[in-house]
Amino acid sequence: MNKKTIHLKLNGEPREWSVFPNELLLNVIREQEMLTGAKYGCGIGECGACSVIVNDQVALSCLTLAIAVEGAEITTVEGLVKADGELDPVQAAFLDYTAYQCGYCTPAMIVVARTLLDENPQPTEMQVREYMRGNLCRCTGYASIVRAVLAAAEKEKHLAH
Amino acid sequence: MREFDLVIPKSLPDALDALAANDVIVQPLAGGTDMIVNIRARVAQPNVLVSLNDIAELREIRRDNGTIVVGGGARIADFLKHPLLIENAEIARQAAFHFANPMIRNLATAAGNLASASPAGDMSPPLLALGAEVALASKAGTRTLPLDQFFISVRKTARRPDEIISALRWQVPPQHTGHAFYKMGLRAADAISVISVAVVIERAGDTIREARLALGAVAPRPMRAYQAEALLNSQKFTDAIVQEAARLASEECSPIDDLRGTASYRRRMVKVYVARMLRQAWERAK
Repeated sequence: MNKKTIHLKLNGEPREWSVFPNELLLNVIREQEMLTGAKYGCGIGECGACSVIVNDQVALSCLTLAIAVEGAEITTVEGLVKADGELDPVQAAFLDYTAYQCGYCTPAMIVVARTLLDENPQPTEMQVREYMRGNLCRCTGYASIVRAVLAAAEKEKHLAH
Repeated sequence: MREFDLVIPKSLPDALDALAANDVIVQPLAGGTDMIVNIRARVAQPNVLVSLNDIAELREIRRDNGTIVVGGGARIADFLKHPLLIENAEIARQAAFHFANPMIRNLATAAGNLASASPAGDMSPPLLALGAEVALASKAGTRTLPLDQFFISVRKTARRPDEIISALRWQVPPQHTGHAFYKMGLRAADAISVISVAVVIERAGDTIREARLALGAVAPRPMRAYQAEALLNSQKFTDAIVQEAARLASEECSPIDDLRGTASYRRRMVKVYVARMLRQAWERAK
């Protein structure tokens, strides 16, 4: 097994990674880049804790081989903060609505909610629940999570005007 | 995780060359939502993975006269988003909506879902009900099989190790065709079917021109309910015939007891939901 060098953008920054064929995207993000927002949860695609954005689409980084993201643009929860430190409206809403308990699922929840609002800026509550159905919260804090996402959408509607 | 080499060919012939190697275990990699899980669980033990994800022609979705051709690399999400599929694969769109979750839909391919050949695979009944065929490509050439002949048993298909599903094809559904899909899961997200039912009906006035009826999770493989279909074809649509077709379908399947439901419960639910889906598809065929 030989390492291969790939190039990509991570949170807007160009990156060069040297990775083994069997390395998972999640492990490189966490252990090489030391960005620990994305989490290992179930490893079989049911919990969503490892969700990151790959080329504008949500993907599961624990089921994605690192080599496969050659040339991609990847965004993790850490990349949603603006350069001046201002939080993304979804992040701010999670704080405002205390949409977390233990916090393990939170980074992925925020990343997936961000993608939802980019695709559908004014979702209904049902659409939020549908879109985030693959992100499990073992503290079962879903009500406040959904409220936070809807509040972020509402806030962005006003920002847009 | 197990060590393996990964090759990422840019063309289909290069991929088929790589898959033809017989000195080591070579397996194709599409979305990875089954393969990576299987490697970690040591169910799959490849020495080499051949990624199909950088092959442009496998991502094609096109209409070829009266046929819809979907490349083997098409994602589940494509069935929800691509205009050609929304228009010509209504039943597969319904199934894609119930498929796992958005992250999995962005990664997983329809061809991979078929190739995994789980009896409960979500895309199998709708594609059976569309009358789909699979094109199997290898270095030796391409052969086409009706999807029904592709499934052999639990996780066993007619695909040889050196072959990949290069495309799925089905006829553009004629006018006055109605589609109805039902998946019974134990929860809304990430569910594995207790049963699933897919019905496509072509209607001519008050007569059933052709009905295709497929069932999931009630036999060793996704199946067509041919006896029920034979009863329905060319007949008038009546309550009596719907009831009789539902009864036949519940008898020709062969469900088992497992942690999601018992065999007898599954049979009863097949009867209930075949009747409901027949009525729904019929109404939509107007």
